Amino acid sequence: MNEHRGLLTGEHFLLGDHAAAEGAILAGCRFFAGYPITPATEIAEQMSTRLPQVGGVYIQMEDELASMNAILGASWGGVKSMTATSGPGFSLMMENFGLGIMLETPCVLVNVQRGGPSTGLPTLVGQQDMMQARWGSHGDYEVIALCPSSPQELFDLTIRAFNLSEKYRTPVLVLTDAEVGHMTEKVVIPSPEQIDIIHRPAVRKGDVSPDHFRIYRDMGSKDAVSPMAIAGEGYRIHVTGLTHDERGYPVMTAAAQEWNLERLVNKIRNHRDDIIQVEEAHLDDAQVVVVSYGISARTSLWPIETARKEGIRVGLLRLITVWPFPEERIRELSRRIRAFVVPEINMGQMIREVERCAGGRARVMGVNRPGGEILEPEKVLDCIRAAAGVNPPKP
Amino acid sequence: MAQTHLNNRERLKDIGYQPPAESDWLTGLHPMDPLLRGERLPHIWCQGCGLGTALTTFINALQWLEQHRGWDLDKVSVVSGIGCTGRVAGYLRLDSFHTTHGRAIPFATGLKLANPKLKVVVFSGDGDLTGIGGNHFIHAARRNLDITVICVNNFNYGMTGGQVGPTTPHHARAVTSQYGNFEYPFNLPYLAAAGGASFVARWTVLHARRLSWTLREAMEYPGFSFVEIIAPCSTAYARWNTEGTGTDPQKLRRRGLELMKHYQKVGRIGHEVHPKDATVKVDEKGLICEIVEGKFLSQPRPDLQAAIDDLAGGAEKRWGSAKKALDERPRVERRTDRVPRTEVQLGGFGGQGIMSAGRIIGQAAALYDKLEACFTQSYGPEARGGAAGSQVVIASDPIHHPVVIEPTSAIIMSQAAFDKYVPRLAPGATLLIDDALVNLPDDRRSDIAIYGIPATEIAGGLGNSRSANTVMLGLWTAAVGVVSRDAMRRSLAESVPPKTVDLNLKAFDTGYEKGKELLDSNRSRPEASS
Repeated sequence: MNEHRGLLTGEHFLLGDHAAAEGAILAGCRFFAGYPITPATEIAEQMSTRLPQVGGVYIQMEDELASMNAILGASWGGVKSMTATSGPGFSLMMENFGLGIMLETPCVLVNVQRGGPSTGLPTLVGQQDMMQARWGSHGDYEVIALCPSSPQELFDLTIRAFNLSEKYRTPVLVLTDAEVGHMTEKVVIPSPEQIDIIHRPAVRKGDVSPDHFRIYRDMGSKDAVSPMAIAGEGYRIHVTGLTHDERGYPVMTAAAQEWNLERLVNKIRNHRDDIIQVEEAHLDDAQVVVVSYGISARTSLWPIETARKEGIRVGLLRLITVWPFPEERIRELSRRIRAFVVPEINMGQMIREVERCAGGRARVMGVNRPGGEILEPEKVLDCIRAAAGVNPPKP
Repeated sequence: MAQTHLNNRERLKDIGYQPPAESDWLTGLHPMDPLLRGERLPHIWCQGCGLGTALTTFINALQWLEQHRGWDLDKVSVVSGIGCTGRVAGYLRLDSFHTTHGRAIPFATGLKLANPKLKVVVFSGDGDLTGIGGNHFIHAARRNLDITVICVNNFNYGMTGGQVGPTTPHHARAVTSQYGNFEYPFNLPYLAAAGGASFVARWTVLHARRLSWTLREAMEYPGFSFVEIIAPCSTAYARWNTEGTGTDPQKLRRRGLELMKHYQKVGRIGHEVHPKDATVKVDEKGLICEIVEGKFLSQPRPDLQAAIDDLAGGAEKRWGSAKKALDERPRVERRTDRVPRTEVQLGGFGGQGIMSAGRIIGQAAALYDKLEACFTQSYGPEARGGAAGSQVVIASDPIHHPVVIEPTSAIIMSQAAFDKYVPRLAPGATLLIDDALVNLPDDRRSDIAIYGIPATEIAGGLGNSRSANTVMLGLWTAAVGVVSRDAMRRSLAESVPPKTVDLNLKAFDTGYEKGKELLDSNRSRPEASS
């Protein structure tokens, strides 16, 4: 089949949501199951139009619970799959997000965050699901979540999300927001040869003799990610959401729980260096570090510039990967800087991680807004000044 | 006859089956062993449970299909939910997926759509499929998804101890209906048929052979096939809903079978029965007094995949024209002049094309003038005719703050937008209005330049008053001069329906010329006092 079939390589002036869909398509996503929800609906709309053009399948499921499960099923059918939603739908997907983690199923979930809680502000920005992204499903697990600051980055990070989900056989989150999702900027869609596309380690018919095949590898083995045998290849796999052993069979004991959970958790923890991405600016001489993500990181750039012109040694640590959290970097910085400033459009979520890792060695100050609009630059600037112990310049 | 695992021991190794030692062959190999995960037996089901029979009739059906229809059982996938029936997946030596409560069907939907060559069977219980999973059940039937749903109905939630469920008969007893069930149950065949199923049947586990035959037929049948299997729950439901068992220990041990004997007594086969008449009948005490069984419905219609394929043609065409437009876009060089951060506000009411206009400016700046541009929009709550606003930020350097703070120009096409946005304009800004729709108040700002033309009337004169926004764009391009005329015209041509390109370009040029006129004669609106 022509690899370029249906692709739209070139420059576009693209809505953030549409860019997410295009990124998915370039990464090889050929199945989308979703449900309309503001402000993520445009992702579904774009997928519904574009997937048939590339030989993929779009289906609108009856609710978000069905959507999350359908993408798991499609992944086990061998197809890269994705869904997109916002806060209320994100909540509905939580149980089966956990199923995806337990079954070790590659797939991508985009959450275009809006003001909450409950129905909240459907059309307006929020960054209020950050902790839910980490802890929203029940039980213990590790999560990978990426945070773009522009439509181009939403495009790029959707591709990265697919790559990470395939490499580590886990659902990956793209946590964007209504501002980035609904803004339109230039997006360059490269041709597939220009980017790296990763596929899950797969076992196909004839690769391994079925009686030697173990569906889940032992944690002690060098490669923590077990090769995936999808349905129809003759391996007669059994997978279950129950705690299971290396054959995939349910085993209801503490020993099996330990084996299984440590596998799942360490699969991510042991590869933090590969997974975590941050953007750093002016950190070498920084006295104050702004730690931010998504649209709030972008709107912190002008305050940082202005503060530096005023002589304040402020730097930026932008979290591109928000989970796993870059604990080591925060700990390191906390040993030599005066204060962290954490701007976010919520009542204080990621600030808790910064505080935890700073361990009291540096002051941590938040700039918060409950949702609806992006942060005002003056507020971030005032906080930077306060963090540096500097009075605002006379008007 | 096809080579199957039944008669070829070597092939058994292929599917991971560990045969017992040679000396045990006499008693070790059961015809169903190839499809059972023997290493997981004995199973968890109770003495007297109907699930063992349900499982073996299913295996029977599969083996028949393998032998007589040449089915490759590697391609059969079983998806189950949570509950006693859900455990069936774990005992079958097939690709099997034990998913979450109620969600087997959507999982199966994704699996089947991703690989249409798979034969997907959902095997789960009454509570799982029609309680928590009810919504998914009816939608899969509505879609006529090509799967077979086998629902083992034991009239309660067995795994958790026997709670009332959506199929528990009226007045029957369960752990959470100890005074008798005050709810009414589903008629499952009717529910499936009403949803849109193509094949609907019901048997009890005593009808082992008929059940096996029907399961075979259901799996071969295209579209959504539904088979209800009525089974006893010996530990829970049967304990409280079987007459005459008393406390006799012998009878209690056989209560599952006692219940089935009762079902046999009150059951009748009725293939001609309409699903709506398939309700399981009960007496006032909640004891079942009639069950009708049979193949109630078989009515083929195109399944989901066929329906999807039917409409695939339109997609190819749409991509073709988008690709063409992309390839034919002229290559342009990046502008060498430096454009400082420039903010543009647009406002009007819904339907005037405020969004399109803003997007055209942004696209012109980004793709044709090779500047940075960020376009955002805002709406009022009304569906039609409410306030509409959009904003564009343009600069040579990357844009940090994506929304306008103090716009230096604005395109305003309604009075409400005037009132809302004009106070926020920067001193020295340029305001462009459709002066037939916007009245300038006496106390208006004197620190901005105002240019007005009756854009809607002009557009009407040119052939379509809906191009008023395009006329305003022309005016803006001339008056503000940030984005080049060429870029604007290209962006416009790419953004409107092909049949309206000429009209819109004309509207744009008209607005542009008017703008030039106004600028040259320096005719911004005079002071309020005159």
